[in-house]
Amino acid sequence: MKTNVWGVGLVWIVALALAWEWGAQLLAVGFHDPMAASKLPYLHSVVSTMFNNADSLFEAASVTFTQATIGFALGAAIGYVLAVLMSVSRTIERIAFPYLIISQMIPVLGLAPIIFNLVRDMNASRILIAAYITFFPVAANTLGGFRSVDREKRQLLDSYAAGLPTVYAKLMIPFSVPHLFAGLKIAAPLSVTASILVDMLGSKNGIGVKLLYALYGGNMDIFWASVVTSALMGVLSFLIVLVAEKILVPWQDTANQGGAR
Amino acid sequence: MSSIAELEVPGPVPTKYAIDPNQDLASVIRVKGVNMVYPGRDGHETHALREVNLDIRQQEFISLLGPSGCGKTTLLRIIANLLEPTSGEVSIFGRTPREARLGRKFGIVFQSPVLYEWRTVRNNIRLPLEIMKVPKAEQNERIDQQLELVGLTKFANRYPSQLSGGMQQRVGIARALAMKPELLLMDEPFSASDEFTREKLNEDLLRIWKLNQKTVIFVTHNISEAVYLSDRVVVMSPHPGRVSSVIDIDLPRPRSQESPEFFSLYTTIRHGFEGVFHQA
Repeated sequence: MKTNVWGVGLVWIVALALAWEWGAQLLAVGFHDPMAASKLPYLHSVVSTMFNNADSLFEAASVTFTQATIGFALGAAIGYVLAVLMSVSRTIERIAFPYLIISQMIPVLGLAPIIFNLVRDMNASRILIAAYITFFPVAANTLGGFRSVDREKRQLLDSYAAGLPTVYAKLMIPFSVPHLFAGLKIAAPLSVTASILVDMLGSKNGIGVKLLYALYGGNMDIFWASVVTSALMGVLSFLIVLVAEKILVPWQDTANQGGAR
Repeated sequence: MSSIAELEVPGPVPTKYAIDPNQDLASVIRVKGVNMVYPGRDGHETHALREVNLDIRQQEFISLLGPSGCGKTTLLRIIANLLEPTSGEVSIFGRTPREARLGRKFGIVFQSPVLYEWRTVRNNIRLPLEIMKVPKAEQNERIDQQLELVGLTKFANRYPSQLSGGMQQRVGIARALAMKPELLLMDEPFSASDEFTREKLNEDLLRIWKLNQKTVIFVTHNISEAVYLSDRVVVMSPHPGRVSSVIDIDLPRPRSQESPEFFSLYTTIRHGFEGVFHQA
């Protein structure tokens, strides 16, 4: 039976919206909380703020999102190349892997100011931090993909006397594409988060700046509108990767739809 | 162990060879004194193959038959140059297995179909042709021809995941045949199929073999399959893996599995395995 994806999605969104509205009402009317509007404002008021400030929100979001995307692409490329190199040579893997692990132990919160101090450029910082966040899940997942290639698939190419570049072109790279996407799906929202984080370090524009100023200025409507916008950016980044996967990995989509007819 | 100098001397071949020495000249694949020993943890060696000798003739359909552990797959993998024997010599059309592999002299069909799931049926068959740099027009010609032969023309643009197991295995065969190899190596290709699919695949394989007349080495643990398909059955036994006898199957084709001659050959081979059945 085919699941109705749109139906499920719609029910999910409506349920979430209703829960939000009901929660806000409970807080404001049920508990008479004077801070209700800042703790959890009504969804409809958040949405209307978003519409009223659509231009400025969109402008801020696009600055952050664009840098996140560039950083994501850069990080994914670096991660992929690292995975290829590590799969080609165990020696490279032994040398590189400890560095990769250590790199993941440095908190981004600490690293971001260092990077900013080094490059002294907001956009470059956003890109570098987004790339830094992205490369590891991509490298680790892709390397895992290379390592899990079936032995017989490789032996088949050996029986054709295929050289190493051919083995990569015909087998390793296409085989690892679904694994690559697993890494990209983890990394995409993270790269957006990284970009927002760098916004907050003292940028002049970007959604993170809006978020911070609204919070300090006590403008809770704008604050919540910015939070929702940030969340939507994360969701959007994930959806873009998902669509790309559907296009680039068509053989997975058709799997398990019954045998021959 | 025989040296190269000894091999060049004409004359009687030592009787330890399982094959009639007079037929040696016609053989295209020779296995001489092959041993495969795996060292164990406690210094206990595993003899996967001991002193295996075999001569296979041009265009012959030969089966390597035996229970698991008899080294039949090991022997096939040595011939395919996927394994190096501990000692002994193998020659394929006068070349070493490595030279034969690099010269793309054989096609191989594995126990599982080993298809690339990101390629359609058509492009799976195309894989060896791309690597061999066959011109595009000829690639398509050969693919169409093989699809027709295995009856999958209508499924050319499907992905492997959309095919049944038997169909997937036929794609694997078509892919091997598209290379136009002189030798076809098959490692229990139908062992995962059910009895009905297997019989159909066996019939198809014979039909294809008659059309192409390639030399086929077919590994199986199924006695009736071996008798049904082969010109000769190489019966192997385990612990250590060795050739215990070579049986000519002189029955005319198509063979009926219900004929008394078939049954008598089946019974003869089965008796040879009596010890194995009791061990299991």
